Amino acid sequence: MENLHHKKSFWSKYIFSTDHKTIGIQYMVMGMFMAGVGGYLAYVFRYNLAFPGKSIPFYGMLGAEQYNAFVTIHGMIMVFWVGMPVLLSAFGNFLIPIMIGTDDMAFPTLNALSVQIFFLSAVILIASFFVPGGAFGGGWTMYPPFSAGGYLNHNPDFFKALFSGTSLLILAVALEFVAMLMGGINFLVTTVNKRAKGMTPWKIPVIIWFLNIGAVIFMFSVGPLVAGAFMLLFDNVLGTGFYDPHRGGDPMLWEHLFWFFGHPEVYVLLLPSLGVLAEIVPVFSRKPLFAYKTIIYLALLSAFLSVLVWAHHQFVAGIDPRMATFFSIGTILISIPFAGIFLSYMATLWGGKITMKVPMLWAIGFIGLFLIGGLTGLFLGSNTFDIYAHDTYFVVAHFHYTLFPDIFFGFFAAFYFWFPKFSGKELNPKLGKWHFWLTFIFFNGLFFLLFFNGLAGQHRRINDYSSFSLISREPYQTFEQIATISAIGLILSQFIFLYNFISTLRSNRKSVKNPWESTTLEWLSDSPPPHGNFNPYPVVYRGAYDYSLPDVPEDFTPQNVPNPNNN
Amino acid sequence: MSIFPENVSTYGQAIDNLFWLILAFVAFAFFVSLFILIYPLIKYSSKKVNRAEYITGEKKKHFKWITIALVGLLLSDFVILYVEHDTWGEIESVPSKADVRIAIIARQWNWIFVYPGPDGVLGTTDDVTIDEMNSSLHVPINANIVFELRSQDVIHSFFLANTRLKQDALPGRTVIRWFNITKPGKYDISCTQICGILHSKMRNFVLAETPEQYKHFTDSLYNANKPATASN
Ligand SMILES: [Cu+2]
Repeated sequence: MENLHHKKSFWSKYIFSTDHKTIGIQYMVMGMFMAGVGGYLAYVFRYNLAFPGKSIPFYGMLGAEQYNAFVTIHGMIMVFWVGMPVLLSAFGNFLIPIMIGTDDMAFPTLNALSVQIFFLSAVILIASFFVPGGAFGGGWTMYPPFSAGGYLNHNPDFFKALFSGTSLLILAVALEFVAMLMGGINFLVTTVNKRAKGMTPWKIPVIIWFLNIGAVIFMFSVGPLVAGAFMLLFDNVLGTGFYDPHRGGDPMLWEHLFWFFGHPEVYVLLLPSLGVLAEIVPVFSRKPLFAYKTIIYLALLSAFLSVLVWAHHQFVAGIDPRMATFFSIGTILISIPFAGIFLSYMATLWGGKITMKVPMLWAIGFIGLFLIGGLTGLFLGSNTFDIYAHDTYFVVAHFHYTLFPDIFFGFFAAFYFWFPKFSGKELNPKLGKWHFWLTFIFFNGLFFLLFFNGLAGQHRRINDYSSFSLISREPYQTFEQIATISAIGLILSQFIFLYNFISTLRSNRKSVKNPWESTTLEWLSDSPPPHGNFNPYPVVYRGAYDYSLPDVPEDFTPQNVPNPNNN
Repeated sequence: MSIFPENVSTYGQAIDNLFWLILAFVAFAFFVSLFILIYPLIKYSSKKVNRAEYITGEKKKHFKWITIALVGLLLSDFVILYVEHDTWGEIESVPSKADVRIAIIARQWNWIFVYPGPDGVLGTTDDVTIDEMNSSLHVPINANIVFELRSQDVIHSFFLANTRLKQDALPGRTVIRWFNITKPGKYDISCTQICGILHSKMRNFVLAETPEQYKHFTDSLYNANKPATASN
């Protein structure tokens, strides 16, 4: 009872807090937990692929139906319950107010509501495994009519249909969108209205720009899909026929609505991590970010192009062949701004003074892996080669080479970089390096050989290849086993990270205020930042990347340092 | 050993060639980019450098190299687009001369084959439908096999890896595609769009035979399946 009279109980401080930093950390912790769930699912179905018919340690036998559900929910989790909350929500909430020099988000209560809705969506998603019929197993793209009732989980009983794996998944995704929309509105309003005095648009750090551009792309593209998702839900629980061709519906409608959102979503996930790189690479090169303004323009261009390329996912879906050329050209064009952004980061290195601290290792590893992911995209952007490669493991390897560095290398780079700020403690760099190298090696062991499986004709989402003569032979079976053993190694390597994280939090290794000697505003605040962040509030006089300025003895000049000529 | 399954179609080689062309561009871009990424880590290591240079990259002369790289990327993209254009048109449009017309219908979980019957026309009463798991679609070699692709229930995708052809089968739509197999043999058909519990078992075959063998097969098939109403 006494607790109720405390000014801040555990509940109001950590669970129902409206402080942007706590909310950012809540999103991060939930995202990390969901990454564990998604990783476990991947372990189970990868084990099944390498050793078909064997009982899986820590699971048991995996049937075809569970296999399908596991690959589906694995994809859903990694995109919507790891990538989105960690990259967009955790980074955005933690970093936006503190990097633009203000006390909190514009709408703290809406922010707290957003994280609670997100939590609810994750609970519903996990619950969907335990309803009769199990979780939805029709692929993360949820193509109807398979997902639209009548063929898998549909039940004429309204409540049974509502509590089917399919309906619960649609509901969970819809709620997740609501949470992200609330966050996105907050990002924009905060960035537009609450910047420190003197922070004109060209003085805003790239990551803040990119988080906002990502939020805009998300808000622009998600609307049609939310409408589409409701039609899908109605098909399931009310028996409507929006996607059923036997009743005048059209399954292709969903494909368009889904990919109109689904492809821009890739850039929503990519931009925050690219922002992380833009903050880390200059710091560890002691050099201004190369072509700051051009990078912002390129990102704005890519945002515009991102909504024009969706149908390249449908080259073999029976769309008009003439339309394919239009989408091929769009796909080619959108690779240009991203190539420009990556090249600018690499150019930042040239002429610098480079130290390979742990965050920088992750940043460089990210660029290296993404190079493979991006360049293999050239094969798939070609509509003709895509006739063969579509829905094979070539595609699986390709998008894991983009999304894994994006989500995990981006997250770890950010985590090792900003951890001293949000905890006030110093991580063990030796363990950080071990964590990096093991993750890097096992990731390549997991996905590189799968390119060859794809080229050999191995198609996706098959729990048992024994009836396919092209795949159930050497060396492709060995490649599967190497991939699975690497996947297990990859998962185990993350325990180094968890150990480092937890033991550091419990240790007394205090970090200094600005351990990396960075220029941006968050490093002016105490570590961890107090409620309200700054006292007094900073005034901004310069851009975010003034490293090694000529005529200045130090090699970094923080944003709040006035120009000497004006003094 | 080739990295692709054996190609047995008339247009498959063009797709394989396209792969090697794109790979040439990709490999070049990869090694150049890797150099640009790794070399400065060694050359500009803090152990060797006293102070970084102040280069903002906003000047045109600094951004020049990136512009050149981007133009190079764009040009190689358009070379690929140009080279592939004819192959795309060849595969995705129906050839003027169809030697055999058949229908392939997907269902959960089998590929159904519809032969046109003695009149060679689909949609007539003498059509013969084979709906058996693991069955083979018989086709003659060196002939343009034009097929109507449909689905009875959900979305499936017809994949005949040895010809490089893949095409989704959507309920409510008919898509017309074709292939021409040059070598006798038995080739896997698989479904590449997740379609339910037995998606993994949705495997049939194309059995490519000499024209004589094919004739023999269809003759006996049509004899065994004479429509009950056809008296003369
Ligand atoms: Cu199928």
